[in-house]
Amino acid sequence: MKQIDVMKDILADNNKIADSNRKLLGNKGIFTINLVGSPGAGKTSLLEELIKKFKGEIKIAVIEGDLYTTNDAQRIEQEGIEVIQLNTKGACHLEANMIAEAIADLNLEEVDLLVIENVGNLVCTASFDLGEDIKITLLSVTEGSDKPIKYPIIFQKSAGVVVNKMDLLEHTNFSIKQLYQDLRNLTENIKIFEVSCVKEEGILEFGDYLKERIKTKKLANGFA
Amino acid sequence: MHEMSLMGQLFSIIQEYISNYNLERVTKVVLKVGEMTCVEVSALNFAFKSFAKGTKVEQAELIIERAEAISECRFCGVKYKVDFTNKLCPNCKEFNYNLISGDELVLERLEGE
Repeated sequence: MKQIDVMKDILADNNKIADSNRKLLGNKGIFTINLVGSPGAGKTSLLEELIKKFKGEIKIAVIEGDLYTTNDAQRIEQEGIEVIQLNTKGACHLEANMIAEAIADLNLEEVDLLVIENVGNLVCTASFDLGEDIKITLLSVTEGSDKPIKYPIIFQKSAGVVVNKMDLLEHTNFSIKQLYQDLRNLTENIKIFEVSCVKEEGILEFGDYLKERIKTKKLANGFA
Repeated sequence: MHEMSLMGQLFSIIQEYISNYNLERVTKVVLKVGEMTCVEVSALNFAFKSFAKGTKVEQAELIIERAEAISECRFCGVKYKVDFTNKLCPNCKEFNYNLISGDELVLERLEGE
């Protein structure tokens, strides 16, 4: 009988590709977010609003992850933004190699912000580094305020949480207070943005935060 | 079901070792899975069986060792167990999430003939 000590990270291949994506994007001074959230939370709506309000100031490119359709990519394309559609053909999350292919097809010159809209899923997306700078998780009030403690890993790994559909708050039993408390227990410095994509509220605060992060990233990579 | 994708990656590592060590069959696969990974053990077991079917791994026993989540306090250096809702250092009561164990997803050992 042979006993072999392997000690090999199962995700090593994915993480290696993610690191090379991060390096490539960093060299171009691009700040990248991995946007995660449940189906219907409003990931594409948030992007549409962000693009409408900031496209004059930030050059944005988008990678859209979806199981089968091109619906979301079409919505983003209407905003005059470069977008690549990735169809996972049933897979519940994006992986780093898919992003590597998408990056090769994107015109990345002068891009400030790359948004990767992940597949609508709070579980599987947590395991795969894509090469992003930060994860942003989107949560809508109709989903319930217990989501962070039910799906702790994705929230714990996120730099920020966007709480969408705030206009519907009064019709739900969602507790903003509980949400803040749970999120701060999971990860101390997480940023929380309350928005309503329908009423176009709170988008500016979120966009200003991204602008700050973009600026810091550019400086760190030698871009003035 | 990202456990299927993980298993795909695991099996490509196992295949590599089967050919490098000229194994006729694999009898045991030992994984270490941290508490802070988003991995479900029964889904892993299920995925393992699907991937192993009809291969040199078919008869292998899958052993999954769970690793506790341990953080090291950046202020006093104490090492302590954390969970999702409590990450305060027992000593200085500061929030810390400086994992030294608990996010492993590792193929530790293979046994075979």
